[in-house]
Parts: sequence; C-alpha cells; structure tokens
Amino acid sequence: MLFWIVVSVLTAAVAVALLLPLMRAEAQTDIPQSHDVEVYRDQLAELQRDQANGLISGDEAEFAKAEVARRLLAANEAVKATAPVSGRRANRIAQAAVIVFLPLLGLCLYLATGRPDLPDAPLAMRLANPGEDINILIAKAEQHLVQNPEDGAGWDLLAPIYYREGRIEDAGAAYQNAIRILGPTPMRLAGYAESLIALSGGLITTEAQDALRQSLAMAPDDPRSEYYLALALKQQGKTEEARTAFEALVRSSPKDAPWLPLVNSHLAELGGDVAQNDKAPGNPTQADVAAAQAMDGADRNAMIEGMVSSLAEKLKQDPDNFEGWMRIIRSYAVLDRKADAAEALRQGLQAFPAGSEEGRSLLALASELGIDAGKDVK
Amino acid sequence: MIVEFGHYALVLALATSILQSLLPVIGAWRGERALMQSGTTAAIASFCLLALSFGALTYAHVTSDFSVVNVWENSHSMIPLLYKYSGVWGNHEGSMLLWLLILMFFSALVAVFGRNLPDTLRANVLGVQAWVATAFALFILLTSNPFARIIPAPGEGRDLNPVLQDVGLAIHPPLLYLGYVGFSVCFSFAVAALIDGRIDAAWARWVRPWTLAAWSFLTAGIAMGSYWAYYELGWGGWWFWDPVENASFMPWLAGTALLHSALVMEKREALKIWTVLLAILTFSLSLLGTFLVRSGVLTSVHAFATDPTRGVFILIILMLFIGGALSLFAFRAVRLKAGGLFAPISREGALVYNNLILTTATATVLTGTLYPLALEAMTGAKISVGPPFFNITFGLLMLPLLVAVPFGPLLAWKRGDLLGAAQRLFAAIGAGLIVAMGVFYARYGGPVMAAAGIGLGIYMIGGAVTDIVLRSGSGKLPLATAWARLKGLPRSSFGTALAHAGVGVTLIGIVAVTAYETETIVEMKPGMTAEAGGFTLRFDGMREGQGPNYTEEAAHFDILRGGVVVDDFWSSKRIYTARRMPTTEAGIRTFGFSQLYVSLGDPAPNGAMVIRIWWKPFILCIWLGTVLMMIGGAVSLSDRRLRVGVPKRAKAKLAMGAAE
Repeated sequence: MLFWIVVSVLTAAVAVALLLPLMRAEAQTDIPQSHDVEVYRDQLAELQRDQANGLISGDEAEFAKAEVARRLLAANEAVKATAPVSGRRANRIAQAAVIVFLPLLGLCLYLATGRPDLPDAPLAMRLANPGEDINILIAKAEQHLVQNPEDGAGWDLLAPIYYREGRIEDAGAAYQNAIRILGPTPMRLAGYAESLIALSGGLITTEAQDALRQSLAMAPDDPRSEYYLALALKQQGKTEEARTAFEALVRSSPKDAPWLPLVNSHLAELGGDVAQNDKAPGNPTQADVAAAQAMDGADRNAMIEGMVSSLAEKLKQDPDNFEGWMRIIRSYAVLDRKADAAEALRQGLQAFPAGSEEGRSLLALASELGIDAGKDVK
Repeated sequence: MIVEFGHYALVLALATSILQSLLPVIGAWRGERALMQSGTTAAIASFCLLALSFGALTYAHVTSDFSVVNVWENSHSMIPLLYKYSGVWGNHEGSMLLWLLILMFFSALVAVFGRNLPDTLRANVLGVQAWVATAFALFILLTSNPFARIIPAPGEGRDLNPVLQDVGLAIHPPLLYLGYVGFSVCFSFAVAALIDGRIDAAWARWVRPWTLAAWSFLTAGIAMGSYWAYYELGWGGWWFWDPVENASFMPWLAGTALLHSALVMEKREALKIWTVLLAILTFSLSLLGTFLVRSGVLTSVHAFATDPTRGVFILIILMLFIGGALSLFAFRAVRLKAGGLFAPISREGALVYNNLILTTATATVLTGTLYPLALEAMTGAKISVGPPFFNITFGLLMLPLLVAVPFGPLLAWKRGDLLGAAQRLFAAIGAGLIVAMGVFYARYGGPVMAAAGIGLGIYMIGGAVTDIVLRSGSGKLPLATAWARLKGLPRSSFGTALAHAGVGVTLIGIVAVTAYETETIVEMKPGMTAEAGGFTLRFDGMREGQGPNYTEEAAHFDILRGGVVVDDFWSSKRIYTARRMPTTEAGIRTFGFSQLYVSLGDPAPNGAMVIRIWWKPFILCIWLGTVLMMIGGAVSLSDRRLRVGVPKRAKAKLAMGAAE
C-alpha cells in the first residue's frame, strides 16, 4: 500500500512540475537575434579590456572592433525588423497530454515489467530472519564455514544439500572437507564418489573408485559402492570381472531391491545370466534402459509413463503376474500417483489374495510405500 | 519496495522524456513559450527521476539484494564495499543506466545553464536530447532491465568479474561516459541549428564550452582506461588498437577536430557548417562505440553479455540517429549562412589543416576497426587488423599534424605569416634538434626514428612555451611589463599551451617506451637474480595469501642497485573463488617517469617460476601528457570570458572579401 502511495505522490509531483509552465500566463517569446546583439556587445567589451591590458595594439583593436560593430549593426536591424511574437494560445492539449499520458504510460509499462508484490530482500535482513529460505540457509552455512573452515560437521551437513541443489562441484569439495576433518565414513565416501561421478558425466574415475573401495572396506555390504565398482569394471571393458561383480550384487540383494532392474540390464549387456526371472512382461528392454539413461527430466518421465501404461495394459489381460503387480505399484508410487497405486494394489490382491504369500508381499510393499490398501481387504 | 520504486522511477523518467521530446519542439515550431518552458522542467524532472532510479539500484547492490537478477549476477556479499558501489555499472544493464543518467545530467545542465540561449534553440536542443534519452530508456526497459527480479532469491551472488574488481572501475566508466555522452549536447546543438535553419552568434559561443568539457572528460576516461589495462592485464601493454579502444578513440579524434573548429567559429564566425557536421559525426562515433561495445559484436572485457536482440536494438537506434541527423544535414545545411573568409596561411587555415588530418585519422581508425567485422559478416572470413596497420597509417598521418601544432597558435587570424612563425619557433626547433641528436649519440646505433620522435616531442613542448613567452612580450618589453601581460593573458591561452605541451609529453613517452623498452622472460628459483633497466631483481620466494573473495600466490622481489637493496615489491596471481577466474596483479615500481613491471607466469616443472620482467622507460609520460591535456581543457573551460580573434589587417587594400 505504502508503495502505491509513494508512486502516486511521485507521479503527481512530476505532473505538477510539467504543468506549471504550461499554466503560467504566456510571456513573450524572445527574438533570437537579441541574443546575437548580447554576444556582440560582450565581444566589444572584451576587445576594450584587451586593449587596456595591452594585449592587442590600438591598430588591431580598431580593426577588430570595426568587424564586430558591423555584425552588431546587422543583428540590431534584424531585431527591429522582427515583430515580437505574442499571442497566447491555449495549451489545453498539452496539459491534457501531461495529465493523461504520464500516469498511463508509467503504470502500463511498470505493471508489464515490474513486480510490485515483491519486497526488497537485502542480504542482512534475510540472514537475520532466514525462515524457510533454503538458499539463505546454505549461504549462512557458507559464511560460517568461511570463518571456521575446520568445522567438519558443517561440511557434512552442507554436502548432501549441495548435491540436491545441483551444485555438484561444491558438494564434492564439501564431502572432501568433511572426510578430511571428521574422517571417512561409508556415507561421506560414497557421497564424495557420487559427486565425482556426476562431475565427470557418469564416468567412474580412479579417484572415485578409491573412495568407493575405501567405503566398501568399512561397510562390506553397501550395494551402492558395489554397484559403482562393478560399473567401473564394465566401463574399463573388463567384461568378465564386471559380470562377476554384478552377479555378486544380485546375490546379496533382496529380491525386490529397486536397483535390480538396472543391474539386470547391465548383466544382459554383458551377456551374463539375468539372475532374477525376467518373465514378468513389460520389463524395460536393454534398449529402453539405454534410451532412458540418455534422456533426462521430462523425457525420461514421459518414457516411464509410457512403460507403466503398457505394463498396466498387459496386467489387465494377464493378471496372474506377481512381479508385474509389484513393479507397477512401485512405479506409481515413484510417479506420485497414489490413487493409481492403491487401485493397482486392489487389483493385485484380487489375483493374489491377502492371505497368500504373494498377497502379503504386496501389502508389505504398499505399507512401505505409504499406500492405503483400503478397508475392504483387511 | 525501494527496488520496485527505482523501477517505477525509471519508467516515469521514460514517460517524462517522451513528453520532453515533443512539447518543446512543438513549442519552438509554433512560437509558444509555455511549451518551450515545459521542456526545461521536463529535463530537470527526468534527471531527478533517473537519479532516484540509479540510487535504488545502488541500494540493491550495496545491500546485496540477490532478488535483483542484476545484483545476483554481478555482485557477491563478500566483496569490499567500494566494489559494491562500482559494481553497479560493472555490468551491461547498470552501465546503460549510467549512460542514460549522464545523458539526462547533461540535459539538465543545458536546462539550468542555458538561460542565455535563444528560447527556440534551447527548446530544440532539449527536444533532441530527449529523443536520444527516450531511445535509450526504451532500450534499457525492453532489453536490459536492471530491475528484473528472481524468485526464490539466491543466497549468494555470482561475483563481479575479477578483472573489474579494481579502483579503476570506480573512475574509468563514469569519466568515459561523461565524455562520450557529453558530445550529445554538441549533437543536439547541431541538430537544433539544422531544425531552426539558423546558426546564431549565441550558438557559436556556447558550443565550444560543451565540447571542451566533453573532450576533457573523454581524454581522462581513455587515459584512465589505458593505465588500468596496463597494470591489470599483466601484459605490460598500454594500448592494443583493440576495437573497443578504437571505439573510444574515434570520438576523441573527431572531438579534438570539433574542439578546434568550434574555436574558429567562436572567434571568427567561420567554418560554421563544417562544425555542425563535425558535431554530428562526433556523437555518431560515440553511438557507434556504444554499439560495438554493448552489442556483443566484439568480445572483450567490456562486452558483459552477448544478446542479439540488444545488438539489433542499438543498431536501430544508431541508424535512426546517425541517418536522421545526416539526412537533416543534407537537406538543411544549404539554408545555413556560411561564415567568414580567410587566407590559407592563417590561424583559421592551420585549424582547417588540423581538422583535415584528424578526420582522415578518424576515418583510418574506423576502417581498420570495422573492416574485419564487415568482412566477417559478408564472407565469414576472419581477419585481424592489428597494431602494424594502425601504427604505420595512423603514425604517418599524425606526423605532419604534430609538426604543425606549434605553428598554429603563432599564426595571426585571417592571414598569417608562416616564415615569421617559423622564425619565432627557432628556439623550440633548436631544442628539439639538440635533444634528438643527444638521444641519438647517447644510444648510438639505436633507432634513428626514436631520436627524431623524442626531438619532435621536445619541439612541441618548446613551441607551447614559445607561444606563451611571445604573447607576454618577454624579451621585447621590460620584465615588469611582460609579467603584467603574462598575468593578463586569457586563461584559454594557457589552456592551449598546456594541452599542446601535453601532446608532446605523451609523444615522448610513446616513442621512448616503444624504442627502448626491454622485456625479459626467465625461469627463476628463489635466490636467483635478473637484470632490467640497470637494476637487479632478486626473487625471494612465494607466499600464499587469502583475500575476502580470492586466494593468491604472491612472489616477493628485492630490487638492488649496485648490490644495495633499494626497494622491494610483490607480484601475484589471484584466483577469485566464486567465478574460479585467475587474474594477474603485476608488481610495478616507479623510478622517476620509468617503471619496472613484473608479472608472474606459470610454475615451471622444475619448481621454478616463469617470470616476465619489463623495463619501461618514461612510460608515465604517456599518461602524464594526457593529464596535461585534461588540465589544459579545464583551464580553458574556466575562462568564461568571451574571446574574439583579432584579425590581421590586410596590407595595402588587398581586400579578402567581406568578413561576413
């Protein structure tokens, strides 16, 4: 509100300033030649001063004076010959233009380009009162760390936030600092390795491998480290070793581990046995996975949507597919389509009753994903 | 709220400018004084509005308000306060706002100090100023709005370009813009005269002070930019014939020509039409410079961002104003009354000679700058017109002008005596020759041209002194009388002498550095020494340091002369953390007018550092000369009295024709 009051006052002030001369009684316009007369008079006076100071001789002065005097005479005559322009005309149009145009253009253009709803956001004020502002929380942590660069807990806290915000390079540096100060943990090492991998565009560098191995030595069954190390072997072209590593990962994983499809696709590419049964229809083919990895964001979502709907179609025709129901419920949950997930759960329970082994698995998955199974099935 | 208020003030300034571009011009056309008066108020009002707007942007920068895109992209919470202020124009949007602010500042000055101009002239001048202002205000609002916001606001800025984090940024752009944009007043005067179809005596009287003010600022701005590039970029060069430098140099050359032709017009009412044309050309070159720098056609530290819409927009402004003004000139110049006549050998003649050479030089620089761009646009071929082209063509063009400079002030108005002037200059010529021979003998085998160049510089300084001495009548008159006359001399005479001597001083600096500079590139380990300019440099070792927003590696050197340590200094390389950009902070030590310049290269594999050492004899003369020129301009400007050129009477009755 205050903003609009100030804006109106400013606009009004400018309008008044412009209107005042337009409303004043019309004075006579001066004759341009009268200014010439003034200049020539000045010139004559100047010549006299110079002569008095001895800067020019009497002879020169007389000659110059004669020249200026000739111009002065001509200008004087021109002044006399020009009739003074008087004549007061109404300036109503000009006045109206000022009153209408100024606020109109000002407001239109401002509303089109400005953000009157946004208050100022000086950094000091935001720092004093951060609220929910994630950027300012990061900035605050950063400023704190500039002052206390040896505060490992701070780096530990900041690193995953950086990663989520897409500031991968900063995330890597923060993990590195946390490891340096607080010592390595599997979490920090794996986070550091993931930052390095993201930075190199998916390539698992030697540095990343070292971190992963160190992490694996501390937490031997960490599937994330195992997966990346296996992938590193694949990237190096060590097919046999990569296959062995992936197979080991499959063996140590729970049957419904979400990373299994990805591992399986690698295994398929490496020509190994796809450990988990792949009879479930609608599993992404090798080509699909490769395509999904090449895409990002919206494209990938669209592809997943497409695969989910084709899977739903297949399940409608052949409901006797436990694997299929497990996957579609999980997919719906990932896509945040809770209602569809609940509906899929209901249909799956029709094929595999809640009392059966499969039915219990479906219910367990649903509760893990936070999907309401509905009263009727209980 | 302050930010949005600044945004609104900018919009309102545009609206006021549009009114200012119409009302006074209509008033002048219909002879209505009230309408003309409203132009005066509008000029002052729009300047105040833009000052508010600029203040709001400054507030956003100083308080690190990262919800403003411009602040987020070009500032950082940790940079020193000075750079938060200067960072306001250390980017495209802010610098355009500064450009507009200065344009409106000059309009307001005309409105306030233009009381002694005829009403119609003042109204038209303000109208034309407002046309330019409207075009640029639209440009800012439509393509480069400094008040654009971003939600959610980032927590930290992306930092100011590290190269710009220097005191130079606080001084160089405002000075340069005061010069660039100052010529807009001359342009508006010229267009107003064309609209009016008449050049009054008052017109002639008031163009020169505006030109002089703009020229002095531009001189200072260019010199500052050159010195800044010299110490910041770490290449040890002071002028690269870079298109961006040429963009500022062309208006300076044309402005220098304008300054001299305006002189003839003020004192002798001659060269009127030519002055009008020069005024249009000078500001056109300023606009061209703005286009080259701001459109992103050229990549340099000055092109903050490249965005084709901006380039097209400025190109349209450029064509509109240059094309419009030149067409107006073509149609209306015939209506202007030509000025007085004069003999070829006369002060006027000398000034015409000056104008011819300066405009040719401008054309040369223009060709050299635009030809590669045009060729690339037409055929896609990339060529580079470098210093060899400019040094040869420009240098050869300037030579006859520099020789003639001391003659000019000694020639009489209307008809002069060349031989007499040469006789009166014998002392200066002699001094130049003696010094040239001295330099040649001292450096026997050294370049002959260098000795000649330094001699020329001395001769120009001597010529300036001769002019003052002769005017005071020293030698002919008793000492007391001469002293009294010296004191009574118009300040503009001292201004002329200072500026001309300044050119000589700059010339000496340029020639000395070009001919006698030494460059040494060595790999040094701590404890090693190197020789330069008669000094011994001892490398002590490296030290790591930390600034507010950068880390640095600094090398320490002792300077020894004859085995004794006379001085010591640091030379460093910095990495600015936010942009991960390196800069060189060269170590510079001054000895008299000469400098020792050391910049760090990369570490060599064996643990040594690559170090570049320059000895730059008399390099400070280059900028000292420009300071003299600028002081000359200021002294001349302070002389508010009207000067009349006293014509020389023709011998016998050899009438040269009417003086009108």
